[in-house]
Amino acid sequence: MSYYLAIIGTQDNPLFECEFGTAKQGGDGVARFPEQARHMNQFIVHSSLDIVEEVQWGGGQMYLKCIDSYYNNYVSCFMTGGNIKFLLLHVPSQPSSSTATRASTSIAANPTSPQTEEAIKQFFTEVYENWVKTIMNPFYSVNMEVKSPVFRARVMGAGKKYL
Amino acid sequence: MNSPDNVSSPDPVASSALRMSKSRASADTQSMISSTSSLPYRASNASVSSLFASTTTPTGSRSGSPSGLGRSRMSGSVFGGTPGERQQLARAEQPGDPRNLILQAFVPHIAVHTSADTHELVKDKGIGGGLWELLRPFGERIHGKVTVRDSIGAGKTWEDFSVRFVQLGDGLDPPDVPTRKSEEGRGLNGEKQETKSAAQRSRTGGNVSQIESLVDRHLSYAEDFPNMSGEDYLTYKDARLRDIDTTSPFYTLYLRRLLSGIPLTPHETFAHPVACVIAISSRNTTPIDALRTLYQESTVGTKRMPLWVNSEYLRYYVLVHDEERDDITKSMALFDQMKKHFGLHCHLLRLRSSNCVSTDDDSFRLPRCEWVSASEELADIQTREVQEDFEDSYPCIYETDMTAIRTFIREMVTQSVIPSMERCVSTWNDQVASRRRGIGGRFISLSKKWTGFGSGTRGSSGSGNSGSSSNYDSLQGFYRPDAPEAIMRKLADYAFMLRDWKLAQSTYDLLRSDFNNDKAWRYHAAANEMAVISTLMLSQAISSKVRSETIDQMLETASYSYITRCGASYGALRCLALGMELLRLRNGSATEDAARWGSRLLEYKVVGVIGDALVKERIAVCYASKKGTGSGSWGGRTRKSALWSILAADAWLMLGKPQQSKQRLDEVVSKYSSLPNKDSLSQFIMANSFLQSLQKEVQLALYPESAIEASGDMADLIETSIEEETAFKSRPHRRSLMGAATPALASLGSAPLNGTLEDEKDEATPAVQFE
Repeated sequence: MSYYLAIIGTQDNPLFECEFGTAKQGGDGVARFPEQARHMNQFIVHSSLDIVEEVQWGGGQMYLKCIDSYYNNYVSCFMTGGNIKFLLLHVPSQPSSSTATRASTSIAANPTSPQTEEAIKQFFTEVYENWVKTIMNPFYSVNMEVKSPVFRARVMGAGKKYL
Repeated sequence: MNSPDNVSSPDPVASSALRMSKSRASADTQSMISSTSSLPYRASNASVSSLFASTTTPTGSRSGSPSGLGRSRMSGSVFGGTPGERQQLARAEQPGDPRNLILQAFVPHIAVHTSADTHELVKDKGIGGGLWELLRPFGERIHGKVTVRDSIGAGKTWEDFSVRFVQLGDGLDPPDVPTRKSEEGRGLNGEKQETKSAAQRSRTGGNVSQIESLVDRHLSYAEDFPNMSGEDYLTYKDARLRDIDTTSPFYTLYLRRLLSGIPLTPHETFAHPVACVIAISSRNTTPIDALRTLYQESTVGTKRMPLWVNSEYLRYYVLVHDEERDDITKSMALFDQMKKHFGLHCHLLRLRSSNCVSTDDDSFRLPRCEWVSASEELADIQTREVQEDFEDSYPCIYETDMTAIRTFIREMVTQSVIPSMERCVSTWNDQVASRRRGIGGRFISLSKKWTGFGSGTRGSSGSGNSGSSSNYDSLQGFYRPDAPEAIMRKLADYAFMLRDWKLAQSTYDLLRSDFNNDKAWRYHAAANEMAVISTLMLSQAISSKVRSETIDQMLETASYSYITRCGASYGALRCLALGMELLRLRNGSATEDAARWGSRLLEYKVVGVIGDALVKERIAVCYASKKGTGSGSWGGRTRKSALWSILAADAWLMLGKPQQSKQRLDEVVSKYSSLPNKDSLSQFIMANSFLQSLQKEVQLALYPESAIEASGDMADLIETSIEEETAFKSRPHRRSLMGAATPALASLGSAPLNGTLEDEKDEATPAVQFE
């Protein structure tokens, strides 16, 4: 499973992006997106904003769960109170069609299972916590891009912990 | 930068570079074209270009616009106002609506079986294919209104009713593709398969790769003669922006060829003859005997349909009278005799037998057929290309002949074919379907299920017709035409062809479970497919819940059965493409379903490269037709639509069709600029640089000069184009765009966010530090 996290500002501008792979089940934590199609991640996330804008009015939750899919790519969303969107693109390493993987509880295999949803929720919560701490910086203003290496390290840490 | 006029006086360096890349680009396109179509390509023939013209004309066609006169080479043939032209253009406006397409595609088939002397007579008129070829164009639009009664007895009038004339025996699977299901038919009349001509075989549609290569021919023609240039192009673009729903003419062509020449198969009866025209001419010396012989041939003789075709169809007897050679009183006497022998289904068709040339006073060009199969049209293009004379050689007929044929067809359809179909529908509905529909019918199906369960492996063992309860012959793979299931399928198809969607839908729905119980997978898939289509043709609203329960379920089953159980990619393609089109028409969330089925269609890989690009384009249109609400246009799918347009543009460029690619990219720009945050994508570095490189390449492919003019760094760009060329040469179809272009262009993106690429530079830039 490979992940791509994008934090999108209020004007659909990316504030933070990172890629990482799963660290569960012997994963080495490296994202394995095909090199020629790296731009597709950004396209998919950008086009998912259409769905986010529709779904966000549906309930009062900040965590919107898996909102969109594009072939084998799934997009989960978390919205902060300030209309900042966390979009996580997750790509299972193999198509989740075989019955053996569906039965297993591994979050790497089936992107829409409750376990995966829960794990992503925990991940988002931790990222959100760090995000709030980061943007409390007095020199930060809205829609400024975040380059803090500490924040990046903590996001990676959260990814390693939950995904 | 868009217009090539900018570089009217280039400096020496630029012009040399210009020449370099220009020659390269043209070499590229040449190699692309020659690799995509293996056929010899000669485009300067007027009769060929008139063939292509109907497609390349945009659907909301500007037929009378004076701006069309600016074109030098093909203006004469495209907008020249030949007699048949207006009619075709009027028709070309309609196919934007898939309902119309379906109405015109699934129509009654009327077989034509003639004696040799009739064939001679028609051949004297300059039409080589026989009476069938003479009738065919007129069957596509029946003159005047046609009233059809539905199962309740309410009449409904249609302006656009049509029938399809085929030669008796057309549409059978081509012999070189042996299928299990047709083995029975072949065993019975093997000699017929042998004698079947290649031309007849080519009239069978359903070959996806043929359709693709045909659309490719049309596309390459459109690339070579881009009929939008200068201000003409701009007006077209504006028209497109106004109406995003306009179907691409190539997609319409694709769908139409997909639905042309429906093969004669056991699992659906659309191509089975509803009636058979048996014709003799006044030249015949033993007319009544000849008619009997022809009837015998069509019923038990060499021309007999395969076993699974119900042979109880209507016979219609025609006497073709030769106005110039024969005596009308004699023919009238003979016609009276025919009426006495064969009843009311007779007609006297009076034709002139001399060859009509276009210079004659009352000559009319024989209208061209819209519904020819892909392979037939390909063959037509090919023969016209090798022709040396530049004038188009469509056969002409006299006006009196045309009137006679129109009257004949109208009379036959309204007085014989439709009444007999209505009678069949009501009979079958009373005797078979309603019995099955009632409480007893449910019990029968239930008991069938349980006996099947009791006797064990009924269908799966494959040991012939083991279970006595099943009518399905699982070895040969068909129902006999007198089995209730086959009759009900025929009933449903008849109802569909008579546009009684409600009856069709309920009957298909009954059949779905029957075929499922019998494990008749091909039948099962086809019944599901038609159930979806007839449900969507009904105008009643469907809630999204019902839709996901019924439509999605049936589409899923149909495509799964077609692909996995039968390996019939044609069926799956037809089913999903039509489902997608019809869903798109129902606004709201249904458009999203349509787009989803479109991407499923791509996932199944049942289309080729051309179809792939067309479907991508279509998905973009599906998303675009979902309009948002409010000032922020919430709930719209503009970004999704733009993404699919980009994918389509990429696909077109890879196929060497920069004109198409350019159109898609223009759409992308307009879509992104309609967003509340116009330049949001430009801040996604990789995506943006991909889009820019795509635009650059399209520019380069279209007008090499302007691309060089626009760029400040000449050497860089030449290098890029060389790189591209090598990529072109080695892998003409699978050129990876990112690999070739991004390194040179990566520095172009003015990027506020450096993201993962440049993590290490964090310290240098003013950035937010954690705490």
